[in-house]
Amino acid sequence: MPTLQKTALRPLATELEFTRVYRENRDVHPAIREWRCLEVLLPAFFQAMKPGDLFAGRIRHPLCGFSTQPGGFGYYCHEAAIRNVLESSPADAALREHVEAMLAFWRVENTTAKTRAAYPPWVSQALPVDSLAIVHPAYPLYRLGGTQLDYGRLLALGIPGMKAEVSRNFEGAEGGEAALGEALCGCLDLLADVARRYAGEIRDAGSAMGEVRSLAEALESLPNRPPRTFREAAQLFWLASWAAGSWNYGRLDEVLGPFLARDLDAGLLDEAAATDLLVSLWKLMDATVPCWDARIIVGGKGRENEEAGDRFALLAMEATRRARVIVPQLTLRFHDGQNPALMAKALDVLAEGVTFPMLYNDEVNIPAAAKAMGISEAEAVEYLPFGCGEYMLWKKGFATPSGAINLAKCLEIALNDGRCPISGKVMGPRTGEAASFASFEDLWRAYAAQVEYSVAALTAQEKIEYDTLGREAPCLFTTLLTDDCLSRRKAALRGGVRYLAGTLETYGNTDVADALTAIRAAVFENKTETMESLLTAMGNDWEEAEGLRKHLLALPKYGNDDDVADAMAARVHDHVCGFTRDQAAAVGLAYYLVVVINNSMNVALGKMVGALPDGRKAGDPLANGNNPVAGRDRQGVTAFLNSLVKLRTDHHAGAVQNMKFSKSMFTAHRPKLEALLSGYFAAGGAQAMLTVVNRGDLEAAMRGPEKWGHLMVRVGGFSARFVELPNDVQRHILERTLNE
Amino acid sequence: MGIVFDLQRSALQDGPGIRTTVFLKGCPMRCRWCHNPESWELEPQSAVSGDPPRTWGREWSVEEVMAVVRKDRRFHQVSGGGMTLSGGEPTRQADFCLALLEAARGEGIHTCLDTCGCFPSNLLDRLLRFVDLFLYDLKATGEERHRELTGIPASVPLTNLEAILERGGKVLLRCPMVPGVNDFEEHFSAIAALSRKHPGITGIEILPYHRSGESKWAELGMDAPDLGAREPEEGQKKAWEASLQRLGALRWKIL
Repeated sequence: MPTLQKTALRPLATELEFTRVYRENRDVHPAIREWRCLEVLLPAFFQAMKPGDLFAGRIRHPLCGFSTQPGGFGYYCHEAAIRNVLESSPADAALREHVEAMLAFWRVENTTAKTRAAYPPWVSQALPVDSLAIVHPAYPLYRLGGTQLDYGRLLALGIPGMKAEVSRNFEGAEGGEAALGEALCGCLDLLADVARRYAGEIRDAGSAMGEVRSLAEALESLPNRPPRTFREAAQLFWLASWAAGSWNYGRLDEVLGPFLARDLDAGLLDEAAATDLLVSLWKLMDATVPCWDARIIVGGKGRENEEAGDRFALLAMEATRRARVIVPQLTLRFHDGQNPALMAKALDVLAEGVTFPMLYNDEVNIPAAAKAMGISEAEAVEYLPFGCGEYMLWKKGFATPSGAINLAKCLEIALNDGRCPISGKVMGPRTGEAASFASFEDLWRAYAAQVEYSVAALTAQEKIEYDTLGREAPCLFTTLLTDDCLSRRKAALRGGVRYLAGTLETYGNTDVADALTAIRAAVFENKTETMESLLTAMGNDWEEAEGLRKHLLALPKYGNDDDVADAMAARVHDHVCGFTRDQAAAVGLAYYLVVVINNSMNVALGKMVGALPDGRKAGDPLANGNNPVAGRDRQGVTAFLNSLVKLRTDHHAGAVQNMKFSKSMFTAHRPKLEALLSGYFAAGGAQAMLTVVNRGDLEAAMRGPEKWGHLMVRVGGFSARFVELPNDVQRHILERTLNE
Repeated sequence: MGIVFDLQRSALQDGPGIRTTVFLKGCPMRCRWCHNPESWELEPQSAVSGDPPRTWGREWSVEEVMAVVRKDRRFHQVSGGGMTLSGGEPTRQADFCLALLEAARGEGIHTCLDTCGCFPSNLLDRLLRFVDLFLYDLKATGEERHRELTGIPASVPLTNLEAILERGGKVLLRCPMVPGVNDFEEHFSAIAALSRKHPGITGIEILPYHRSGESKWAELGMDAPDLGAREPEEGQKKAWEASLQRLGALRWKIL
């Protein structure tokens, strides 16, 4: 096995060798080809430990390779990055020639290119761009995300047991099935090799690695028997997750809890040492996984090892409190009758300004997920929020978010007969000039048509993407760690996984609702404005139309428990969620559902949308998740929460709610915070991401107090809202809010 | 019908739990530190500046107010909260005030009355019937000092307070504390004595002076009086704490 040091000597050595092996095996069975590629890839992928690591498993993604998502999509090749390496390497004509040949080869052979090549014309027409930097209403995203794999079986059986399990299931297999079985066993050997190599590196480093010597013993045992301790189990989990390229981890309390409880009860570990191990694992995640992944779920219904799971959950939250890192995105599922210590600990941790755990209400989410996904509640017990909040089914389903739609852009082009007013390009069906709309319903139909056009294409795209990757490679580790694949003798994407599904990221939902409420009032009901004059003012980004803008801003907005504004939000929500859900059958997905999630896309996509009829200025960020547009919820937190629960939860796969509270809510006013949350959750609240107002918020509020209308001024008997106060008083209150 | 100048949902410091606070216009006192000077006049008012100038107060029906209050019932219930009438001095619009209290009580909503204690004694019967908890201001001690600071002598609110307590009313005493203006030994002493005398005083909140309302004076075209007071520092609050302890006050806290 080549060591890290050797590969680092020659630039692009791994990439060139990987390409050579791929080409050599181009025409053999895809399972065998992937196995042989992994033989090159895995040793180069796993990197040496760093001082302080209590687990082995740092990683580096080669610039050309195979991955489900983390390195790239399927067989991938990052040409620009490779050219950067070439330019900074000493001139070497032979190398250059090899690399150019490699780049030319992958340009057509990479899985993303093959996916795009498989689009029928109507899909290509609706989804012409892949770059999120180019203005368009809809984008395909290339990845096999949404896997949260079954580590439980691997940890129970160990590597040798898992090989036996594969052999048992593939006994008597012939042809392609036999190839798959052989490759699955082969990739388990590769995993064993990784463990052995790390053990060797630790031994070679001698005393320099200090206390991790016991880790060497753990790593040495992994190729030979099932893990016996928490440390061995967590180590095997970590290596397997990276081998599979799956960076959302599912119910780790179920998987690791029993190992932890056994070690604690046997005196092999105390809680402090166990927390140290988790902190180290958390830091490894933080060093290797991007901020919107690394979900770990604790708590919730349907756990077989509930008591041990609770012990893991409490230590996991403590590790999150101590580690102070961006990921993992620790997530607490809760339900009536759950050990109350879990929620109490969660609020304690959140009070310290950590943004985790995120809270998920099983009482709402299980029935909602069952209905949305079309499965039984018994199966829906295994719903798990993925990266940004897309619900998946643990071990049994993939629902990769493979598309994004900018609903605000859809409305913008609906107001311009399918044309983007910024670029002048036609980006959707010609739905008529807005000035010709006789009623609000005409406008609604135009908007809906723009959305439906993109959603239908994105649904088809999702299935094409799965099918293409499935033809290219079985994704061996994913197949190995997904329910049903072994017993069905099928690769995950070729009939192995039980629920092959999809999700669609939607952005600008709330902005569209507020815009439609405003335009209906101003143009069609009160007739204070004509469509032409409104469009002109928007085109000028409200220049010399400040009065009109103020008037529009003063109309009802979602988030204030206002029946008119909230009903429009519900209409927009029901339309996109319902239409999307109904597309799955047409393309053969188990389900295809909207998600309303939380990441930085609301900012990036907002930059591509001009002024909107609700008074929004061109380029402003879109609303975050299911939240009101920033600063527009001004009736207090109960009104905000009441608005949130008016949006149905049973026809989509997750919507994210952010809530910011001052520190004093978690301390002096803790019972009131708990009452707010329990009132919200009892009324149908699905989810909450709670954060404490922090220094960054203060600075943001100084720059733009208008975005902070929701901040409460907490002084008894005092009549004022934050936004009504003069600047110096706002500053003063913000400072006090921070320090409370 | 009555004149309401603000309605705050999810108020956290106007009584127990999560509350809906309704601010009624009109006040007989003219406290020099007032943070709601827009409440003084009974009639709706406009600011003298601003584009457009703000207005305070419009006519609301009892049903209109209750429709908003009802929206947060579930939060009132889980938190032990309810409706708080504040102002101004809510009893200045006595009929409207009583009608709101009666309506809330009729729907099983917990009621608080945030009062300065300056109201005719003939309201007492009905207030006691509909108010679950009085948030009762005790602004200063000494007949003349109280008059100087608020325009009303101390005996007026004190008499009503004693009457409420003697007849079994529940009171949360609220004491705005302005350094150098009313934070004197005799005031702390009076607070302590009241707390020992009346078990009906369920708690005492010392409300440290804050200047957040000062800008509203200018908006109304008035000069905020120069109290020569600063917002109290931690050390000042510690001194208040020491006084309350030394004088044997019960059930108090400094917010």
